[in-house]
Amino acid sequence: MTRVLAVAAAALALAGPAAACANPKTSLSYLEGQIMCPTCHTTLDMSEAPAAQAIKAQISRRIAECWSAKQIETELVGNFGQGILAAPPHKGFDLLAWWLPLGGVLGGALLLAVGVWRWSRTQEPEPPETEHETDPETERRLDELLARLD
Amino acid sequence: MTRSLKVGGQLVALAAVAALLALLVWRLAHQQHAPKVGAKAPVFTLDRLTGPGAIDLASLRGKAVVLNFWASWCGPCKSEAKVLERAWQRYRSQGVAFVGVDYHDVTGDARRFVAAHGLTFPMVEDGSGDVTSGRYGISQVPETYVVGRTGKIVVHIAGPITSPSFATEFRDAIAAAMRS
Repeated sequence: MTRVLAVAAAALALAGPAAACANPKTSLSYLEGQIMCPTCHTTLDMSEAPAAQAIKAQISRRIAECWSAKQIETELVGNFGQGILAAPPHKGFDLLAWWLPLGGVLGGALLLAVGVWRWSRTQEPEPPETEHETDPETERRLDELLARLD
Repeated sequence: MTRSLKVGGQLVALAAVAALLALLVWRLAHQQHAPKVGAKAPVFTLDRLTGPGAIDLASLRGKAVVLNFWASWCGPCKSEAKVLERAWQRYRSQGVAFVGVDYHDVTGDARRFVAAHGLTFPMVEDGSGDVTSGRYGISQVPETYVVGRTGKIVVHIAGPITSPSFATEFRDAIAAAMRS
């Protein structure tokens, strides 16, 4: 009888969260890549630290309560601060983290393009020299010389 | 023109290297270390874990203070909790303040921990770790500081106070903090 009750209790415990949210709005595997472990400074999916385990358990609870990824992230930011997010937010000063690398790549590409363009200009062949016109006297002497050779 | 472009590029590269070096120096200069015994305990104001309001460490000046850093996910903190509660019950009438600082913790878990272990001394939460890591240089819990009435650190125990080597040190430190 005790065993039956224990099994029933375990089944209820397992079924409880599932019944609470039939269609979860997000998944633990997704959020594990978005949230940092505060004590080891890696994402949750890379950490087995106790603090990471506690956060994973909290995320699982919230997923079972049908919370969205955004809601869970907001709660965690309230609890642990902005540093809990793996990616900086798309606003304010943090925008720099998104735009600076892009600006760097574009700036580098521009510099490279200008450099290549300038280099290619210096490699262009010199225009051929114009033929020197010979004066009639020189022409006559040349003809004489050539006639002598014949 | 080509020459000016080249010089400009070199200047930009030099500026980038200088900026990176400056960043490295700044980072090294601002590395957090645990405050030394005899130094003033870094002050802080943190929200209470259970109930509204905040606790300002500076407001406890004039009292000996036991500052215990803990987390619900920390194994040794569980065994330490009962000892701390017993010490609090023993010393509170003698004017010693105890403050538990919950570090990098899920608030719900921390509250359950407090309830499960019957902890009654004031608790604050430091979810971001700004005070615990930032001002006290702590990266692992539990750790305990005993602060004298003048605000100076009397002892720093890096580990659970339940270990035999620390238990006597903890008791002696509280006595010293009450005198200082």
